[in-house]
Amino acid sequence: MSDVEPSVVEQTVRIHARPETVWRYWTDPARMCDWWGAAADLDPQPGGTCVVEMGGGGVMRGQYVELVPHERIVFTFGWDPHADAPDIAPGSTVVEVTLTADGDDTILALRHTGLPPAAAAEHRAGWSHFLALLAAVTREDTTA
Amino acid sequence: MPVPATMIDGSLRAVADPTRRAILRLVRDREVPAGEIAAHFPAISRPAVSQHLRVLADAGLVAVRPDGNRRLYRWRREGLRDAAAFVEEMWSDRLALLKQAAEREEWPTRTRAARRRAPTETET
Repeated sequence: MSDVEPSVVEQTVRIHARPETVWRYWTDPARMCDWWGAAADLDPQPGGTCVVEMGGGGVMRGQYVELVPHERIVFTFGWDPHADAPDIAPGSTVVEVTLTADGDDTILALRHTGLPPAAAAEHRAGWSHFLALLAAVTREDTTA
Repeated sequence: MPVPATMIDGSLRAVADPTRRAILRLVRDREVPAGEIAAHFPAISRPAVSQHLRVLADAGLVAVRPDGNRRLYRWRREGLRDAAAFVEEMWSDRLALLKQAAEREEWPTRTRAARRRAPTETET
């Protein structure tokens, strides 16, 4: 019950499309690249790969954990080490996506759990690679 | 295809400039008056230095404290965004794109179709 508790991110969005359509955007590589990555390697079955490469060189590396067609997707989420991404190790956090039909719409609810707490993040994420970046820059500036 | 821009945040953009990185090094360990910062960059005009300080302050990387008629700057370490904030922003940007893409797929000619279709028409 303190700062050391992992953070949770929750978001809900109403989409004017059926759950089966929205579902494909989480399981089909070409569609995944329409909204998230520049390339995706997806094997939508429990234990299957869920890897999304960002254009800038960051790679989200995860594994599908649970798939209930058109209703629910759970996958692990982490970044390969990269200067511009927070230090979230693959396998260390979990994303749950729930799709609920509402008339012609789908209510998409996303819950991302296990994120490093802010206090720890200062050391683990921004702070550490910020310092590393500055150290690199300092070296670069003083080698003249 | 949209270029994923969520990997770069404001703080990293702010330190992309060598002058701003030099300013950050100056204010890293102690509060420094704006005048003293500017004196370190004789080749750069005062307004340009002020502009760099403003970018750093807007990104939350430096804190400003008035002291009489001086302004003191110091590195603000808590300005660095934590992982949850990064992820929050990422999902919010990305889900907006997912919504657009899914709606485009399901209703490719949505506006035209909506205008032409009778309200009672059903699809089979």
